[in-house]
Amino acid sequence: MKALMSVGALVGAIALLLLVGMILDVVPSNTVRLVEGYMPIQMLVEVACFVVGFAGLSYMLSSMGMAVPRFWQGIGFWAFVLLYLKFRVYPPIPFSVRAMYGTVSLVAVFMWVSANEDDWKKFKQPIMNVLDAQSGANKMLRYAYLVLIPVLVGFTSFNAMKPTSEEPVELRTVHPAPPASTKVHGKTYTLQTSQNPYRVNPEGKFDQEYSNKLIVEQGMGRLMAPNANPWDEKNQGYLKYVKEGGEIFFQNCHFCHGDNLNGRGLHAFAFNPIPANFTDPGTIAQLQETFIFWRVAKGGIGLPNEGFPWASVMPPWEQHLTVDEIWKVILFEYWHTGYYPRTWD
Amino acid sequence: MRKKMMNTSMGKKAGIVLASAFGLALFSAGPLVLSASAEEVPQGFKKGELAPEPAADMIEAGKRVYFTKCVWCHGVDGAGDGPGADRLWPRPRNFNQGTFKIRHTASGELPLFDAKKPTPGQNDLFETVTHGLPGSAMPSWEGILTEEQRLQVLSFVTTQLVKDRKFTDKQSESQTILQMADLKPKEATEESKKRGSELIVEKKCVECHGMEGRGDGNAFNLKDDWGFSIQPANWHKCWNFRGSRQDPYNVKNIFRTFSTGVNGTPMPSFADSTSVDDRWDIANFVNSLCERDAQGNPLSIDPQTDKPKVNFVLPSNPVEGEIPTDIENEAWQKTQKRLIAMGGQITHKPRNFVNRIDDLWVRSLYNEKSIVYLIEWDDRTKSVAEGKLPWAPTQVNIDVKEQDPKTGEEGSIAAHQNNYAVYNDAVAIETPVKWQDLPAPIKPRYLFGSNEQYPVDIVKWEADGSLRAFKGTGWDKDFEERDSYEENLKILKSEWKNGRWYVMIQRPVGNKKDQDYDEDTLFEMGKYIPTVFFAWDGHNGDAGRKMAVSAFYYTFMQPPTPREVYIYPFVIAGGIVLLEAWVLTRRANKRKGKTL
Repeated sequence: MKALMSVGALVGAIALLLLVGMILDVVPSNTVRLVEGYMPIQMLVEVACFVVGFAGLSYMLSSMGMAVPRFWQGIGFWAFVLLYLKFRVYPPIPFSVRAMYGTVSLVAVFMWVSANEDDWKKFKQPIMNVLDAQSGANKMLRYAYLVLIPVLVGFTSFNAMKPTSEEPVELRTVHPAPPASTKVHGKTYTLQTSQNPYRVNPEGKFDQEYSNKLIVEQGMGRLMAPNANPWDEKNQGYLKYVKEGGEIFFQNCHFCHGDNLNGRGLHAFAFNPIPANFTDPGTIAQLQETFIFWRVAKGGIGLPNEGFPWASVMPPWEQHLTVDEIWKVILFEYWHTGYYPRTWD
Repeated sequence: MRKKMMNTSMGKKAGIVLASAFGLALFSAGPLVLSASAEEVPQGFKKGELAPEPAADMIEAGKRVYFTKCVWCHGVDGAGDGPGADRLWPRPRNFNQGTFKIRHTASGELPLFDAKKPTPGQNDLFETVTHGLPGSAMPSWEGILTEEQRLQVLSFVTTQLVKDRKFTDKQSESQTILQMADLKPKEATEESKKRGSELIVEKKCVECHGMEGRGDGNAFNLKDDWGFSIQPANWHKCWNFRGSRQDPYNVKNIFRTFSTGVNGTPMPSFADSTSVDDRWDIANFVNSLCERDAQGNPLSIDPQTDKPKVNFVLPSNPVEGEIPTDIENEAWQKTQKRLIAMGGQITHKPRNFVNRIDDLWVRSLYNEKSIVYLIEWDDRTKSVAEGKLPWAPTQVNIDVKEQDPKTGEEGSIAAHQNNYAVYNDAVAIETPVKWQDLPAPIKPRYLFGSNEQYPVDIVKWEADGSLRAFKGTGWDKDFEERDSYEENLKILKSEWKNGRWYVMIQRPVGNKKDQDYDEDTLFEMGKYIPTVFFAWDGHNGDAGRKMAVSAFYYTFMQPPTPREVYIYPFVIAGGIVLLEAWVLTRRANKRKGKTL
């Protein structure tokens, strides 16, 4: 038992040291990576480790005759939860969420310290001692609290009431519902049945399989597939159109959407929100090719009123590009990011 | 995981290379020193060895990287003539001649590149690809291409696309390397900076870079080796320094550029004529000019755009009585200055692909009747239009060819550069009318107004001294001039000095009683009033919709702190005292009751 508890105490001490390091910014808060997808489990395990560690620590301390009063255990654990959420979790979580977790853990700590009459008494004891002020130290504490609490509350309420100017939060819809059909350059396109006329094999037939084979490699630093260079002059079909689409992209779109299609173009810094990042799996990889066609052709101004709020300064590209050019640009965007457009079925 | 493995194998390789290099150095140190002193190497430099040719498989792999990522700007032959090139300014590099700007090598020499050594300070081309060239369209490829891919593509570029020179030819190439690691920066004391400020006059830096270092010296007469127009660096925007390596406030970058010169441009190397000590003084002074916040700290730079981070709320401070017109006045000095990021207007004809104004600095004050914007921005030339303008400065979608002719053909963007009809420099503030009523989906369409129902109110100042009011009713409509409103507007100041405009514009805040609510913006205190800025550079042919635009900012007229803020906290604190007294009395009574 004792050995087990000392292991726990060791774990606790190390974990606490790490957390203190993170708070003081000596240890970067992403030292031990929180793994995407496993993050909740990883955090649960970590917190469990801490709990074991704390139990061990408190056992060791009390066996050495330096028991921590229940009151400070409760307060300490709550403070730990708040600090853990603020300094350990990376990327940082917003204050409102932390406040929610903080409240929940406060309630939990309360339930723990008031589980039975005896514990509750132990917990209250320090408070009562200060209220009664029987000893000199407690008297001092009582006076200090008498002054400190009103000052602190007054100061916080002053800060809360003082007018501040922070950018108002505006929610936005990123992918508003598309219409059933759209009219571009006088011709109506039914979005459900239209397809990219340039996704064709060298014989000029629509061929999804053929273009899939020539799409760039997946993964970081996506590159063209071996022996599928769009700049090859002998190209026919899909790859030839990818090159033409790329030319249009780099003459019109990359100023905002970036050389790497990641929304970080030459002028992107001036935008709020910044332009769409096509390499993000949440954008074109989730959408049908016809949706992109509609968005490119109509721009931010063509977005439907039903879908608001949204924020887009993209111009209606039908004013600058022909229908063919729009389809080619879309072809290029999928080729360059290595994504496949979603289909309707 | 894969990346990690690559790193360790890379590390091992680098280790072996380093170890053998060290061994070599031990044996050859004696003769090297001798030959170095014999050949008169500039102070701070040392002779170096040419790197070996990259392996054939690396070159082959690099070709795939090049034809996926780079070809679009740099072109099939690496001549800097890809499909994007004609619309970029500065233009993409032409690799053929082997002329590279950012180096640790002496002027005219090839940059450092070793396909096996991605070590900072010892591989110029690798660092350029890794960190990009801020202030141009060249992005940072770190995180997009792996370290290996970056080395591969450079192997391809240096062996296949650099055609006039050879990186491994010992007959024609030499390497004289700036020993940056051995040179400790001199402390940036007042004395050092003062000496630097004298040296930039003595060394004639000011002839190109201007008296205040805003790049306004020979601003519109400079050309690079290929005849394309370029401009001297603006020392106040260090985040646009091409070789800043995403660490713009680091004085070492300036020292390096100054020591090695910028190949292909009129910027020479000062290594032969200036001692290391003097070079640090100059670098310290130039570095001290870069914009900083009110406390003197460097601005925080967004690593993904290499530009300062932007705050979209523009606070306007209240003033009792008259608004001061003197910038040195305390009221202005105490007001927060906001950076307004500007992009080129490339969505409506005529499109501005070669935008030369990339930011404004704006401050604002208001009193009961008016609001004043103080706008400052760097513009290398003071431009005032002469005679009749070929097209009205408020026109849109004028007849320009959709696709500009290619470089070399008549009428191309490159041919136009520095050769435009000169228009007025100008700046405008746009605020929506009836912004209080705008339904949500209408909101983002403020740029030039949505429609007749929800117009925008545009106040435009021009360098000829005019201040005019316009109504904007849509993206593709010309501004409509509002004749009667101008008497309400006032220019409090407009001055161009050493490459910077200072313009102070006053307009009424309006009130519900005697204001035409349907035509003028009503400025309300404590509300977020959407505000957009436009700027025109007259020497860049900017007029009408060829201009720089900002995103939507918010003018926020800070309310004077309400009296309640000073009263309620005391009331609350008093309440807490009462509560404490109640708890204590109750406890005392309880104890008494118990003991009794």
